[in-house]
Amino acid sequence: MTTRNTSRRNFLLGGAAAASVPLLNACGVGGSTADNSGAAANDVTGGFDWKKASGTKIKILQTPHPYQQSFQPLLSEFTELTGIEVQADLVAEADYFTKLNTELAGGTGAHDVFMTGAYFIWQYGPPGWMEDLDPWLKNTSATSPDYDFEDIYEGLRTSTRWDFKPGSPLGTGGQWAIPWGFETNVIAYNKRLFASRGVKPAETFDDLIQLATDLTDRSKNQYGIAFRGSKSWATIHPGFMTQYSRMGCKDYTSEGGKLVAAMNSPEAVDFTAKWVQLAKAAGPTSWTTYEYPDCTRDLGNGNAAMVYDADSATYPKNKPGASKEAGNLAWHPGPAGPDGSYATNLWTWSLAMNAASKQKLAAWLFIQWATGKDAMSKATKAAFADPTRKSVFDGAFKQTLGAFPGYLETFEKVIDSTKIQFSPQTKFFETTEDWAVALQDIYAGQNAKSRLDALADSNTRKLAS
Amino acid sequence: MTTTVTGPHREGPRQEREAPPPLPTVPAWRRRLRPYLLSVPAVAIIIGILYPFVLGVYYSFLNYAAVNPNPVWVGLRNFKAVLTAPEFWHSVQVTLVYAVSATAIETVLGIGIALLLNRSSIIGKIFEKVLILPLMIAPVIAAVIWKLMFNPQFGVLNHVLGLGSTFDWLSRDRALWSTVLVDVWIYTPFVAILVLAGVRSLPKEPFEASDVDGAGWFYMFRRLMLPMMWPYILVAVIFRLMDCLKIFDIVYVLTAGGPGNATRTLQVGAFEDSITNLNYSRGSTYMFLLWIIVFAVARYLVSVLGRAQRRAAGAEG
Repeated sequence: MTTRNTSRRNFLLGGAAAASVPLLNACGVGGSTADNSGAAANDVTGGFDWKKASGTKIKILQTPHPYQQSFQPLLSEFTELTGIEVQADLVAEADYFTKLNTELAGGTGAHDVFMTGAYFIWQYGPPGWMEDLDPWLKNTSATSPDYDFEDIYEGLRTSTRWDFKPGSPLGTGGQWAIPWGFETNVIAYNKRLFASRGVKPAETFDDLIQLATDLTDRSKNQYGIAFRGSKSWATIHPGFMTQYSRMGCKDYTSEGGKLVAAMNSPEAVDFTAKWVQLAKAAGPTSWTTYEYPDCTRDLGNGNAAMVYDADSATYPKNKPGASKEAGNLAWHPGPAGPDGSYATNLWTWSLAMNAASKQKLAAWLFIQWATGKDAMSKATKAAFADPTRKSVFDGAFKQTLGAFPGYLETFEKVIDSTKIQFSPQTKFFETTEDWAVALQDIYAGQNAKSRLDALADSNTRKLAS
Repeated sequence: MTTTVTGPHREGPRQEREAPPPLPTVPAWRRRLRPYLLSVPAVAIIIGILYPFVLGVYYSFLNYAAVNPNPVWVGLRNFKAVLTAPEFWHSVQVTLVYAVSATAIETVLGIGIALLLNRSSIIGKIFEKVLILPLMIAPVIAAVIWKLMFNPQFGVLNHVLGLGSTFDWLSRDRALWSTVLVDVWIYTPFVAILVLAGVRSLPKEPFEASDVDGAGWFYMFRRLMLPMMWPYILVAVIFRLMDCLKIFDIVYVLTAGGPGNATRTLQVGAFEDSITNLNYSRGSTYMFLLWIIVFAVARYLVSVLGRAQRRAAGAEG
């Protein structure tokens, strides 16, 4: 009989192999095992009482933003009302969704409530990472009779509801988040500069191109219009998607339950070529790196005459002392489409519940409180943020608009046509970033038609796979 | 029992010392166990490294994505999809151009700076300390600062160089070279310090002998200094090339891989797929292929380093 002694090298290899066995057996592929069916909502019975989850503690994940900042001082009122302690964790916006993606994919339920945008529902919903809030809304034991969900603008309510079926419109299926604050994408401009040049905001897209070009003087480090151009899905959704929709263009068409990319339709090619030409002739020199803080900074500094982006991104620059051009800014809906359309794409910061939360009732009470009339009114008075409730807009919000010329008129002009103009689909971020890459390629000199044909072909295939 | 200790170099009278007490007898099982106990920390570290690695490799054989939370084994399908995609080969090209050019420039500049600093002068001593400063700034922060300096509207570079507001450092044609420039700014001091340490460790005798024989500076540099410095230079090259092949932070902060895909390195591609698009399997495939490239290059360079070290020590001709 021979005896074989184990060498240390073999021991190390054995240890590593042993470690990899449970790893391979248990590597957590398979996504979240959390129950997001709303069953937890049905467990809540009896009359509604804010104190039903008293003594519990929840954690919420947020990004520093006017909405978050206006609610932060009110958190103690929530604790007093409900007996629920709230720990708010903040992550900078640039890293926020990276953090959120990673946390939700891990399924730990570390945060019970999180801020999210409507597009993210399309990615977080199908794996079961988000709780369907519809059963909570319908349960009178869990929801206050004063809540009045219908008071939230319809375009916002439907933007956070989807059934995750390709080609299916928004507004069907579960309610995955409650809109908390929102933004319309319109034009902010330097009215001092406009007055000195004797010009007015453009009412058509061709006039906008001409106006922005006329206002560009590179020798004075001044250009006509800033809008996003970085390699990101976020380049497409504000000004570009708003004007794209007004010009009658679609991102996808639904054919037999399948989405077919339409960003190479004749009208889309024509508009895209003009948009890129606008960026070249009257946009920032390093347009392909521009994100919204760059755009608003240039507006505030007086380098940019106009910005086509979220209204809430530009208004902080008009506050006294906030920028060189503070007090000189005004707002305009932007050019109408050929048929007079003011179709506007929206962004809504919403509150969603983590399906893996261990404190779902407490989490729902927090969402309900934060999106309710009382808290939203107080937050709106304390700081400037577009409220999602019509009653709050007509009440507290209008009182804050005196120093913002054209803001209210612009809002009222576009609000009825404001909704998410994208077709919902689960590969939104990948395909929309590809769209931004195509814009950059066209900006670099590629032919708009052939580049958009390639993009449409690629995106159609990606959605079919 | 007493033992007399003597040594060949010990002088003076013999000294008698008391013998140390006998070592306690260690049971045989403990002696056999000891090597394995000593190996435990190494095993723990290897597990810490292997865990994400094995998991990543495993994912690359699945179709795991956020929209597909119940993945199945797909064999080599991810590899086929990635290897037949033009974007992947474009990323390979961008990564190689970035890594080779940044490493080459940093090496040449680093050697030059090291040779200048080797001259003992006041200025050399001051620069020796100042040149370390870029290394003390986190690459992400350095990239953010450079992005501000590159800005055509208010950046200091266009102002100082008189380029006006129309010169875009991060345009499609220039973005890759601008990212290389930032890498060179951060890491050239690293190469310089490594090479300087090598230069200062060289024996003086061969140089003195050459000097007596009337050899010129360049001859001594080419025939003496460079062959003896070669192992140190190679170490610097290995460090920088490996690091550049994995480059992410500088590129992502400056351009996020754009404009278009002009600066989309393999790491940026893997990040986009895994984190932005939540396609974990495709991102893992990118990372695994990058690992193969880095591993192959590292193996080759380490073998070259071994030969250079033997040659510098005179073992090879």
